[in-house]
Amino acid sequence: MKKVLLIVILTVVAFGILNAETKLKMELWNRWTYQTIDGEVTKNEMALKRGYLRLEPKFGNNIKGRFNVDFFSDEDGLDGAGLKIKYAYLDFSNMLPIKDSKITVGLMKTYFGTIYDWSYQTIDKDPSDKYKFVSSTDYGFGITGYLPNGFGSYALAAYNGEGYKKTAGDINKDMNFVGNIRVTPIPGITVGGSYMMKTKNDSEIDDGTGTIIDNPDREEYAMIAGVGKFAFGPFSLLGQYLQKVTSTPNDAGVEDETETVLSVMPIFKVNDKFELLARYDINDPNTNDDDDKETTIIAGFNYHIMRDAKNAPKLFVQTNYQMTQFEDDSNDESEILVQLRWIFSETLNKGK
Amino acid sequence: MKKLILIITLLTLIVLPVLAKRGNKVTIAGSTTVLPIAQATAEIFMNNNPEINISVRGGGSSVGIAAIMAGTVDIGNASRHIKAKELASAREQGINPHENVVANDGIVIVIHKDNNVKDLTLEQVKDIYTGKISNWKEVGGPSMPIVVISRDVSSGTFEVFNKIVLNNAKCIGGALMLASNNAVVSTIATTPGTIGYAGLGYVNETVNAVKIDRIMPSKKTIRNGSYPIARTLHMYTNGAPKGLVKKYIDFILSAEGQKIVEEQGFISVK
Repeated sequence: MKKVLLIVILTVVAFGILNAETKLKMELWNRWTYQTIDGEVTKNEMALKRGYLRLEPKFGNNIKGRFNVDFFSDEDGLDGAGLKIKYAYLDFSNMLPIKDSKITVGLMKTYFGTIYDWSYQTIDKDPSDKYKFVSSTDYGFGITGYLPNGFGSYALAAYNGEGYKKTAGDINKDMNFVGNIRVTPIPGITVGGSYMMKTKNDSEIDDGTGTIIDNPDREEYAMIAGVGKFAFGPFSLLGQYLQKVTSTPNDAGVEDETETVLSVMPIFKVNDKFELLARYDINDPNTNDDDDKETTIIAGFNYHIMRDAKNAPKLFVQTNYQMTQFEDDSNDESEILVQLRWIFSETLNKGK
Repeated sequence: MKKLILIITLLTLIVLPVLAKRGNKVTIAGSTTVLPIAQATAEIFMNNNPEINISVRGGGSSVGIAAIMAGTVDIGNASRHIKAKELASAREQGINPHENVVANDGIVIVIHKDNNVKDLTLEQVKDIYTGKISNWKEVGGPSMPIVVISRDVSSGTFEVFNKIVLNNAKCIGGALMLASNNAVVSTIATTPGTIGYAGLGYVNETVNAVKIDRIMPSKKTIRNGSYPIARTLHMYTNGAPKGLVKKYIDFILSAEGQKIVEEQGFISVK
C-alpha cells in the first residue's frame, strides 16, 4: 500500500514539474569532524554529511507538493554514497471550512516538538531526532493550520510510526497519532506542546494450536514535548522538555520505562552575518537507573557569507565545539565540527 | 592580560554593531508596485527633512515582508496582506508586523475604443484570459477575435490580476505580455479587438474602460470596495510606527503625501 502511495505521489510530482510552477532547491553540508575520546583522536574526517534536492511543484492555487531526496557520503559507518526519499507529500489548501488550514498526504513532516521546523542552527540534530523519540518524517496524513492573527499553529496527524527510512517488510501494523499546538500570545513569547500516541506490534506468535497470529500484546509509547521560546531583539532562547514512557508487556504485567530530555539553546545575533549560540542537553534514557544519563554542551557560531533576497541563508559556515559527558564510566567525547552549508534555489515555469 | 584583551574584543564585536545601527536613516524594501509611492514620497520627505536619509529598494512583496521579519529594514512594502504563515513565524521571532495602508489600487479592464462591449462579469474576463471565450460576439460584442494582452508575470499588477481574476489559472498561451501599464493602454488604443488591464491611474480617453459585474471602476468604487479588482497597498513595520518611521508614514498619509500617491497613479486612502 505504501509503495503504491509513493509511486502515485512520485508520478504526480514528476508530471507537475513538467507542467506547473516548480521551486527547485538544493542544499549541501560539507563537514569536518575532529573527535577525541579520553584524549585519543577517534575521528578526523571530511564528508558530505548531507545534501538534498527538493522540488516543490505548485499545481494550482490549492495544491502544492514537496519531493525531497537526501543524499550523503556516509551514514552510521556505512561507506559510499547513500540516498533516501525524505519528503513526498501533497498539500491541499482550502479543502476544509477552516481558514488557513490544509490537508497533507504522503511522506510528510512529523509534527512533534521542534523537529518539524528545526533549522539546524547548531550542527547537531533536533533533540527529539537526536535522542530517537521520533523520526523527522513519516508516511501518513494530517491537518495543519494557523490560528487567527498569528497566534500560533496546530497539527493533527496519523502516521505509520516507522519513519522515512523503513518502507520494506516488518512494518508496524498500528498507526501513530500526534497532536501539536504552538501559541504565541505576545510577539516573542511562544509556548507549545505535542503528544504522540504510538503502539507497536510487528511480531507474530503461535496461538498454541500451531496457527501463527499477530501478537496481541502491544508495546505502547506515550510521548510528550513541551516547548518554550523567547525572542527579544538579537537574543533568543529555546527550551524543550521531552518525555517518552514505554510500556512493555511481560510475564509480570506491564513494565514502564521513562526517558526524559531537557534541552536549552540560547542564541545571540550579533549582526546580520554573525550569531553566537550555545546548547545544553540532558538525556536520561531511564529515569529509574542512576547511571545512564548523558549531558551535552555545545558552543559555537554561525557566520553568514551570503543571504538571498528574502534574507534566507545562502552560504554560511557553522563552527561548533561539542562535549558529551556520561554518568557511567564512559569517557567524555569532545568534537570540533566545522560545516560549510550552501543553498541555491530557482523557480521553474514561473507564472505558468 | 590576555583574558582582558579577549573579553574587550568580544564585547566590542557584540556591542559596536548594535550601537552603530540606524541613526537618521530609514530603510525600505519590498513590493515593486509600492516602490514608486515610496520613491516619490521619500524624495519630497528628504527635501523637507535634509537630516533624514531614506533608502528605498524593490524586490517584491515577499522580500519586503521577509525583511521586516529579519529586522533588516524599517519598512517592508507589500501589495498583498501578510500570510498566516508569515505572521505566525514573525511573532515567534519577536516581530510584530503592523500593517499601514498607504494607498488603494484598482485594476481596470480596458478594450479598444470602437468596441461596444460595456460590461463583463469577472467570470467572463477569466474565460477570455484562459481561452474559453475567444470572440467578442460571445460577450455581446462584434464578431471578431479577441486579442488578449497581459502583463509580464513579475509585475505586481499581474499578481493581483492573476489572484483575483484568474484565480491562478493559466493565462492563454498566445497572450501578448507587455512590460508596463502605459504599454498596455497604448497598444489597446491602436489595435482593434484587444483587451487588457491597467492601473486606474493609467487609463485615459484613448481606450474604453469596462464595468465589471456592473460596477464601473472609479476612485469611489475602488475605495469603498465595491469594484472587485481592487487591493490596498501596505507598508509593514515592526509594531506601530515610531520615531522617524512614524514621521515618514504620517507624511505619506498627510494631504501632501496622498497627493503624491495619486500622482503616481494610485488612489488615496482618504
